[in-house]
Amino acid sequence: MITFLHVSKSFDSLKVLHDLSFHIAAGQIVGIVGPSGSGKTTILRLITGILAPDGGTVTVAEAAVGYVFQEPRLLPWRTALDNVAAPLRAQGLDKARARSVASHWLERMGLQGFERYHPAELSGGMAQRVSIARAFATEPSILVMDEPFSNMDATLKAALLGILQGIIKERDTTVVYVTHELTEALQLADRIVELNPGGGLRELDLSDRAAVAREWLATTLGDLQV
Amino acid sequence: MVSTTPHKGSRGAATRRTRLLFAVLGAAAILVGWWLLSLWVNPAIMASPADTARAIARLAWGDTLWIQLLITLKRLVLGLGIGVATGWVLGVLGGLEPRVRSFLEPLRWVGMTIPAVIIAVLAMLWFGLGDVTVIFMVTLIVIPTIYVNTVSGVLAIDRRLVEMGHVYRFSRRLLLTEVYLPGIASPAMAGLTLATGIAVRAVVLGEVLGAMDGIGHAFSRAMSYLETPELFAWIVVLLALMGLIEFGALRPLKRWAMRWRKAAE
Repeated sequence: MITFLHVSKSFDSLKVLHDLSFHIAAGQIVGIVGPSGSGKTTILRLITGILAPDGGTVTVAEAAVGYVFQEPRLLPWRTALDNVAAPLRAQGLDKARARSVASHWLERMGLQGFERYHPAELSGGMAQRVSIARAFATEPSILVMDEPFSNMDATLKAALLGILQGIIKERDTTVVYVTHELTEALQLADRIVELNPGGGLRELDLSDRAAVAREWLATTLGDLQV
Repeated sequence: MVSTTPHKGSRGAATRRTRLLFAVLGAAAILVGWWLLSLWVNPAIMASPADTARAIARLAWGDTLWIQLLITLKRLVLGLGIGVATGWVLGVLGGLEPRVRSFLEPLRWVGMTIPAVIIAVLAMLWFGLGDVTVIFMVTLIVIPTIYVNTVSGVLAIDRRLVEMGHVYRFSRRLLLTEVYLPGIASPAMAGLTLATGIAVRAVVLGEVLGAMDGIGHAFSRAMSYLETPELFAWIVVLLALMGLIEFGALRPLKRWAMRWRKAAE
C-alpha cells in the first residue's frame, strides 16, 4: 500500500530523513513515534504528496487519503457540517448528499446538534472531532493522523480512541498514525516504528506490549521508580 | 460515545444602542456647528442649514435634483462596477501567481501615483466631455485600490487551509469558492468601501472638469453663479448619496460576506 525506498528529505541544511526504507501493507495500522524534529510529520506529508522526497522513492497505492492534521484546519467561514461535506463535494457528491453523509459522521463523533456551529464557536477538542469526521467521511483507504489527540483531555482521548478503533477495523483502513505518546500508539497500532533524529528507524517488537510500555515509561520518567 | 450539548450565548444589544446614540450625537454636533458658523460668516460664502434645506426642497420639487442624481449615480455605478470587477480579477490572479504580480507592478505603481486631475485631463483629451470621460476616470482610479487590497488578501490566506484543500483533492473551482474567495472577503470588502469613497470623489471631479451634467457639474455651476445655498444643497445631496450607498448597500453586503464571523462572536 505504501512503500518508502531509500528516501531522504532535508529542509535547507537540516537533514530530516536519511535513506529511509519501509513498507506498510494494506489494512495495517502503523504508529510512528519519536521525539520532536525526528521527521514524523514529514513522513505523513510525503505519503499525501504535499512534499516530494529529495532522494529515493515514495510509492502510494492509488486510493482516497484522509488526513487528520495536528491542528483541525477547518474553514472558519463554513459550519461544522459544511466543513465535513466539502471534501465529499470534491469527490463529486451533490450538496444534499454530502451534507447527509457529513451529518452521519458528526453524529458518530458525538457532535449532533453542532452541525450549524462555526469552528470559532467550538472548543479545540470539538474542532478536532470535526476534522476526524471530515477524514472518515471521505471513506479513505489510507488514513494519516498527525497527533490528532494533542488538544484533548485524557477522558475524551480514551473515548475517541475507542471509536476510532471500531471505525478503522470495520472499514479495513490502512492507518499511519504519528504520536509522541507510545501508550497511545500501543492502544491503536498493529506495528510501531520509532524514528530517531537524523532519520534512523527502529521497529518495536509488540509481542509483549506491556513490556514495551514499561520500557518506554522507564525511559520517559528517568530515575523515578516505575 | 462522546457527547456534548450545544449552547449559544446572548448578544450585546445594549452596547449597539449606546454606539448608535453617540453616532447620532456626533451628527447633531456637526449640524449645530454648521449652524453656529453660518451665523458669523457672510451668507455669500456659507449658507445656513435652513437656507440649504430650502434649496434642496426647491431642487427636489422640480426635476433638476433627480435627473442630476441619476446621471451621477449611473456614472458612479458603471465606473465602480467595472473598476471593482477588474481589480478583483487582477488581484486574485496577481495574488496566486507571482509572475502576474510582477508584470502588473509597474501598472499598479502608475495607477496609484498619477494624480486624479491628470487622468481627468487625459480622459477629456481622448473622449471629450460626457459619460465616457467620467466613467473611464472612475474606473482607472478604482482599479489600483481594489487590486492592492485583493492581492494582500490572497497572500494572507492561511496556507494550511490551501494545503488541506490539496490533500482532499479540491478542484480549482472548489478551492476558489471554499478557500480563496471567503478568505479574501474581509480585505475585499475593506477595499470596496475605500474604493467607493474614492469613486465618489472621482466622479464629482470628473463632472466638474469633463461633463455638462451630473452633481459635480451642477455644483460647479452653482459656484460660478454664487448660488451658495444651492452649492451647499449639492454637497448635502452628495453626502446623502454616499450615506445611501454605505448604509444601504456596502454595510449589508459586508454583513452578508462576513456573516460567519458574526456567528462566532
